[in-house]
Amino acid sequence: MWRGMLEAALMGEIPRETTSGSFDDVVRQREAQVLRTAFRILGNWADAEDVAQEVFLRLHRHGIRFANDGAAGAWLYRVTVNLCLDRARSQRPSQEMFELPSRERSAEASVLLEEKKRLLMAALAMLPVKERAAVVLREIEGLSTAEVAGVLGSSEVTVRSQISKALVRLRGILNREEV
Amino acid sequence: MNEQEIRDLFREMRDEPVPADSLARARMGVAERIGAERIGRKRWWVPLLAIAGCLIGAFLLLKPAKAPVPVQHPALPEVAQVRLPPETPPAPAPRRPKRARPKQVAVPVSMIRIETPDPEVVILLVN
Repeated sequence: MWRGMLEAALMGEIPRETTSGSFDDVVRQREAQVLRTAFRILGNWADAEDVAQEVFLRLHRHGIRFANDGAAGAWLYRVTVNLCLDRARSQRPSQEMFELPSRERSAEASVLLEEKKRLLMAALAMLPVKERAAVVLREIEGLSTAEVAGVLGSSEVTVRSQISKALVRLRGILNREEV
Repeated sequence: MNEQEIRDLFREMRDEPVPADSLARARMGVAERIGAERIGRKRWWVPLLAIAGCLIGAFLLLKPAKAPVPVQHPALPEVAQVRLPPETPPAPAPRRPKRARPKQVAVPVSMIRIETPDPEVVILLVN
């Protein structure tokens, strides 16, 4: 266990206070968060499931216990995002991920809001992966800029700039589609 | 779509439920992999045993033989062997005594020349 924790500490993945919270509790409370975040960064459920498995396996292997909910959340976000970034870098983006829904499908859609969400997710998949991760964490998961900076290992200024650029790009992609 | 609309949409997506089948698959995958790791940890001696077996096998196979293995040739039919008398080396020939060479002594040579009627025949008498 100590070897695992040392390994995790060297990887920069370990929370400082590790006292309580069983593995099963963490999995039960956080599996949806991990899966959702991975899906929004990677754009498909199969990859998101693989990432979620890897995250919880690391948690189990290293025997990490968290002092509080915040520590667990931060650790899980960090490992999830890192694994997603690695995966996104190692694999070529699939066609499926970048395809925007067709107009016909839009016409068929009964709820306009759902269609808009789908368009937005497709546009999100076109962003560079680091920008995508910043937007997902800040705008969808609702983390503060400081927390996002902590998860991504960059400064708050960088995160703000990434999010700002990403929103401009998203607007561009969506407006181009709407024309 | 403007920036605010995008932010609002993102906010709506925050509480979207995760598909139940995805959650179940992820949970099962974690349980399976953790189970496999536990079995792997319990059976830590299996790879050790395999390595030890390989080492012993390699030692036995590569061990050099102490004595050369005799090669068995097919038995040849026996042939009556004729015994030859043992060869005796030829006796060395007896040495002849060396002849003593007459010592040359300066003796005054006397020669008598006798003329015959035939002019081509001359008799010479030495000493």
